[in-house]
Amino acid sequence: MDAPVYYSKAEFIETDTGNKVSRRATIAGPQNIILGGKTIISSGAIIRGDLRRTGPGHAVVISLGRYCLIGEGCVMRPPYKTYRGNFNYYPMKIGDHVHIGANSVIEAATIGNHVIIGKNCVIGKFTIIKDCAQIADNTVVPPNTVIPALAMFSGSPGCFIEDLPESTQEMVEAQTKQYYTRFQPLDR
Amino acid sequence: MAPIRDKFTIHSKAVVCQDVDLKGDITIGPNTVVHPKATIFAIAGPIIIGAGCIIEEAAVVVNRRKEVMRVGDGNVFEIGCRVESPSIGNYNTVSTRARVHHTVRISNHCVIGAACLVVPTEDEILDDFAAIYATSDSAASGSNVISSMAVERRTWSGRGKVQEADLRTKHVEYLREMLPKFNRLRRGDSV
Repeated sequence: MDAPVYYSKAEFIETDTGNKVSRRATIAGPQNIILGGKTIISSGAIIRGDLRRTGPGHAVVISLGRYCLIGEGCVMRPPYKTYRGNFNYYPMKIGDHVHIGANSVIEAATIGNHVIIGKNCVIGKFTIIKDCAQIADNTVVPPNTVIPALAMFSGSPGCFIEDLPESTQEMVEAQTKQYYTRFQPLDR
Repeated sequence: MAPIRDKFTIHSKAVVCQDVDLKGDITIGPNTVVHPKATIFAIAGPIIIGAGCIIEEAAVVVNRRKEVMRVGDGNVFEIGCRVESPSIGNYNTVSTRARVHHTVRISNHCVIGAACLVVPTEDEILDDFAAIYATSDSAASGSNVISSMAVERRTWSGRGKVQEADLRTKHVEYLREMLPKFNRLRRGDSV
């Protein structure tokens, strides 16, 4: 196993389900955000749970699966549009084993399982990313794009580059689990 | 240089979150929404922002010049963009992570695409309906700096302009209702 990634114990809050959330992350409307467990939210990240769908009852704005990583300085906000003349924000759903690199801006509608997004990416509104897809660093994905399973996207605007091997699922799963175990507190 | 004196004039109908970094002489017009974590710096001259603008999180608006920086009505500055233009007209969009340098003046209905860098060395005025966007070869080189060379421009026909303006007013209406429920607001001259 690779060397552990240490963080200062004072900075992160650990929940019962193993989520690790930085105190330096900005989380608006936390009652509308669901974390699946063993998810890491790094410092400087901005998560907008306050931009909820209008209407009565409880609305989930952002749901994240297990073993996710939100990199430093990432912005996650739900997409918006007008539908039949009414303006609304729509929920964002993210699967398990999703890693998002530092300083990326995510406004996707759905992100599947085992997806890896690089650093400095811009994922446009209502993008749908299917399982096991990968997005290279500095990619700008235009709004309403559908990224198929096992595809590698890169460029500005983001385009299909290559197919990924079928072993991607196992590789990403192992990688995300290993990252979580490597992410260790440093007492001081 | 004289130290920057803070003077915030925020219209009573504007929504400015508490978690916003303001510095210098700033005037914010009615119905303008400033999301948390946005930054507005009036370093040299004052900044006057008009009505119905949306400034999203991590956006940076800076005035480095002595003259007044005027931002018109109905503009949207999306996530993480950086705007230093000395004058901005009405109904412009600066998309996610775009950068506009202080040498550019923006007219009306302009669109700066996502992650574009607009840094001409000489002063320039963007005409009405100008659209600037990145092409595929710019980022395919894998560089983290998208040069202004690889950015292209064309003129928007203005089709769908009414719909766009309509979406914007509805967006502002929604935010004015929703943001105060989850965020603390800032009032003028109270810091």
